[in-house]
Amino acid sequence: MSTRRIAAIARRIAQQFRRDRRSLALLIVAPIAVLALLGFVIRDQKPIETRLGIVSLGGPVDASIQAALSAAAAQAGVPVVDVGTGLAAGRAAVQDGRADVVIVLPASLAGGSATIQLITLGESPADDGARLQVVAGLVEGAGSQGPRLTIEHQTIYGSPTADVLDTFAPALIGFFGFFFVFVLTGISFLRERTGGTLERLLATPVRRSEIVVGYSVGFGFFATVQVALILLFALGSLSVPAIGPLGGFEVGLGIANAGSPLLAFVVIFLTAIGAVNLAIFLSTFARTELQILEFIPVVIVPQALLGGVFWSVNSLPDPLQAVARVLPMTHAIDGLRAVLLRGAGLSDPTLQLDIAYLAGVAILFVVLAGATIRREIA
Amino acid sequence: MDTIQPAGQATEPAGQATEPAGPAIQPAGPAIETHDLHKAFGAINAVDGIDLSFPAGRIYGLLGPNGSGKTTLIRLMAGLAVATSGTVTVLGTRMPSRPLLARIGYMTQSDGLYSELSVWENLSFFAAMSGQCDATALAEILDVVELGDRRGTPILELSGGMRRRLSLACALVHRPAVVFLDEPTVGVDPVLRYQLWDHFRRLATAGTTLVVSSHVMDEGDRCDELVLIRSGRVLATGNGAEIRQQAGTRDLESAFLKLSGVPTWGDAQ
Repeated sequence: MSTRRIAAIARRIAQQFRRDRRSLALLIVAPIAVLALLGFVIRDQKPIETRLGIVSLGGPVDASIQAALSAAAAQAGVPVVDVGTGLAAGRAAVQDGRADVVIVLPASLAGGSATIQLITLGESPADDGARLQVVAGLVEGAGSQGPRLTIEHQTIYGSPTADVLDTFAPALIGFFGFFFVFVLTGISFLRERTGGTLERLLATPVRRSEIVVGYSVGFGFFATVQVALILLFALGSLSVPAIGPLGGFEVGLGIANAGSPLLAFVVIFLTAIGAVNLAIFLSTFARTELQILEFIPVVIVPQALLGGVFWSVNSLPDPLQAVARVLPMTHAIDGLRAVLLRGAGLSDPTLQLDIAYLAGVAILFVVLAGATIRREIA
Repeated sequence: MDTIQPAGQATEPAGQATEPAGPAIQPAGPAIETHDLHKAFGAINAVDGIDLSFPAGRIYGLLGPNGSGKTTLIRLMAGLAVATSGTVTVLGTRMPSRPLLARIGYMTQSDGLYSELSVWENLSFFAAMSGQCDATALAEILDVVELGDRRGTPILELSGGMRRRLSLACALVHRPAVVFLDEPTVGVDPVLRYQLWDHFRRLATAGTTLVVSSHVMDEGDRCDELVLIRSGRVLATGNGAEIRQQAGTRDLESAFLKLSGVPTWGDAQ
């Protein structure tokens, strides 16, 4: 071991870092920035609001319990909203977003105990779980003097037994639709810029728009295949029977999906086109493939933290909510959840907004990407 | 004419019979013309007032050391860079002009090939970009650069010289009227180098205008006219013999050094 050679190698690495200030900055700034963002999101997360609706089916428990519940809710600071009368009205209130939880009081007392239905939206098991905990506390308090109360959970969408995966899957599908295409296009176009092929390409009568659209079609195709397979795996469920010594097993996650897979696909495709062109645009600002990877903490991580993969956008602190609503990932995930969990169709206004936003972002990035492809590079 | 024809014609390039199709009707004026051309990058004047006029159907050599402005001049002439001031006219059209690029061939200094793709896939891609759809034209040019039997080989498996040859084929596949070749013979062995120059000569005879840059001075004698460049300025023009005479030296290298004002060992001779 020669200490001189070891020192020379270490010194050379330091020199390289000095020339590549961006990598150095990222090494230090990125983890701190991401941690700060994470801290902001978690510490300042808003408590989930629970707007309670109470629907009575007109049974004997009704009068006493309804009064007790309202009193308990008022004491706990849970707002009670008027949702009308009857089960249908209660469900409609949850579906329209006027109430987060509706308590349905039964028509009859069976054997000295009553079953109370709690209706939630079922779009986010995490949010529903937190709300149910609040409401269950109220019910327990209110029911301490009367008959024994049993709670039954029902959801508008999905099923009450839905697990985290059911809401996670649409988010992850949207995330992957963006992430891989972004990285692959970025590296591919960087190589085009640095390898001399772009120069050669621009020495032909090709139009910039032809390059951008060609890239979008080429990478869009592979994004399509990727997403189609992910959707198939996530939504499908195929039982493979036992063959010989091999036991039978299930292929696919079999996630409940309410809406049209084709519409889900449209959402992801628009997301991917945006990602392709954002990557072409940003490849101008990278000199090496490493620097493309360094865009991940800048472009991908904030979208993963704020876009609704882990926490719903509504629970973010206000300033971050404003940021989140600008990010394409937020709209991709929102759109995918709308389609897959709620079964939203093209007439759904939130889905319309998401699709329009993603299309707008895709167009914006196409224009930006085109602007960076110039015959005059030097 | 001072073009050296090496003795020994044993290694005739393949595809001799397929004379390149003559370029379309040439305009009456010169094929390439620059007027008081300047290109600055910040404080550096890469091209610093160059006036040139190249009649069609000849081979022009841009000679100069690394960093003398050859590549910038070629990029300006090929319409890939915008002049700070001055003009470039190619085939009667002010550059940069996108439609005219269909009639220009440009071989970059780097190979500019897609390394995962095969020889044929690279060639047909650039042919399609230049509007050349005729498969026989592709096969012909591959034979000229002697890669006809390498069609399916990925670029990763080609030697440096083979890549250079394919790069040249990609620049010529659409039979351009004006061809810019930036250091085309770097890394090419002497036999193939001779064959390539032979092909350049045949293209010129058929009416193509070629501009070849090189820092290898002994290639200068293969050109019809030389432009010696240093620090973005023209030091001298003329054919090899004229430049040697002008400098009073025996070879182009000494002539270049002398015209640059560098005292040389060759002066004593």
